[in-house]
Amino acid sequence: MNNDSINSNKRSKASIIVTDIIIFYRVLMETIKGITQAGMMNIFIIGTMAAILTIFGCIFRTSIALGSVVKELGKVLEISVYLKPDANLKDAVFEVRNIPSVDRINVIPKQKAWTNFRKTVDLPNIENPLPDTLHVRVKSQKDIKQVAKSIEGLKEVEDVKYAHELAEKMREVSDISHTATIIILIVSGFLTMFIINNTIQIVIASKRKEIEIMRLMGVSDWYIRMPLVLQGAFYGLSGTLIAIIPVLILQRYIDKTYEFFAVPQNPMTINVVIATILFMGVVFCACGSFVSIKKHLNI
Amino acid sequence: MINLRGVCKQYKGTFALNNIDLDIQQGEFVFLTGSSGAGKSTLMKLLYREEKPSVGNVLVAGIDVVRLPAHKVPLLRRCMGIIFQDYKLLEKQNVYDNVAFVIRTLGLSSRDIDNRVKSALKIVGLSHKMTSKPTELSGGEQQRVGIARALVNGPSILIADEPTGNLDPQTSLEIMEILEKINQRGITTLISTHDHAMVNHFRKRVITLEHGRIIKDVQQGTYE
Repeated sequence: MNNDSINSNKRSKASIIVTDIIIFYRVLMETIKGITQAGMMNIFIIGTMAAILTIFGCIFRTSIALGSVVKELGKVLEISVYLKPDANLKDAVFEVRNIPSVDRINVIPKQKAWTNFRKTVDLPNIENPLPDTLHVRVKSQKDIKQVAKSIEGLKEVEDVKYAHELAEKMREVSDISHTATIIILIVSGFLTMFIINNTIQIVIASKRKEIEIMRLMGVSDWYIRMPLVLQGAFYGLSGTLIAIIPVLILQRYIDKTYEFFAVPQNPMTINVVIATILFMGVVFCACGSFVSIKKHLNI
Repeated sequence: MINLRGVCKQYKGTFALNNIDLDIQQGEFVFLTGSSGAGKSTLMKLLYREEKPSVGNVLVAGIDVVRLPAHKVPLLRRCMGIIFQDYKLLEKQNVYDNVAFVIRTLGLSSRDIDNRVKSALKIVGLSHKMTSKPTELSGGEQQRVGIARALVNGPSILIADEPTGNLDPQTSLEIMEILEKINQRGITTLISTHDHAMVNHFRKRVITLEHGRIIKDVQQGTYE
């Protein structure tokens, strides 16, 4: 026995691969044994994980839906820009177009506006009192206030009007839904780690002697750790599979809401939501297991 | 094979080991004696890196155990066989599985594992008890399972911490005879014990510890 023998044994690649496959197989067997030994506790853990992931998945999906609706409604909001009587219409359009976040400009010359107006109202033959008008749409309704302020500052502009309160409310709803999603994500993450940590602690307590013997006999840390990490990941995966059902039911209601508001649907969104809860369930559970057994393996 | 230089181990101001210098050659059979709290177990734990010395160097087969990276400690332990007073067997597993479980983690084929386990059980005379659970065995038989487990990976050093501490004199003698037989295969054997009769019977090298210091180191010694 010397440093070289501890560092490595020279083996062929094929033999290393075969050895790795055998070890992987035995780790899997250990994992299955661990899950089997947990008995009824499995149901409790998977049920709890499913509940947390369902709450997270539903709030996440709702938040995305809310964001889409708000964004779509926001696109309808326009800024009405009334130019000064002596303003040059072309210059005004040019300057407004140069403002960042401006999406589209609908130009209504004063003559056209007056003609249209007279078609609807019977008026005596008076001088046209209407100004040249621009209807401006912004790329994101979040920017509407800033764009309106920038337009107000232009020398050709007499007055600017938009549905200020509606825009503010939409922005607030959008902000709240985003914040709620982040908070729920963090809380769910902590809850997942906390539950899995406690669960694995119970599993470790029942295997304490076995782990101690394995350590003393020279079993690698990762071999001791991996079945417990996989066991955690299994709980996360099972919880996710259950949580997907209520999320898919929610999706059906969201589809109907989209149809009602005539909001275009993105079929990838539900996949993103499922991928997120799957990631959260599996990775957070596996990490929770990893962290909780680390302290038992300090050498 | 084993070299300790200026080794001290301190626990909250108390010296469990104090300035230990020790050399054990390959193939030696050594008894480590001393009263409870003399530092025998601590010294053994230093060899398989369950503890680290506060000061000093520990070399096992040329390996600097103190500076060995944590991830290589399992590799060090696999080169040793460790035997405990309380056997440390897995009660839910039978004799065969208790001996096999460590080498199963090494990725050996089932046939290799089977050969090694059967060979180790043959050495300790338990081939006929492979399917028994530890609870169905006597103390001596349980310790023999512990020895088989220590042997199964072909160690070059055998460390036994009070291996006969829970056994009657006759069974203790049987266990010691097995350990001597193993030593005759060239495996360096270090045994801590309180058992006067065993030490006096075998007349091997005896190292005596007292208050963490080596007070005696005698070839073919006795327990005094």
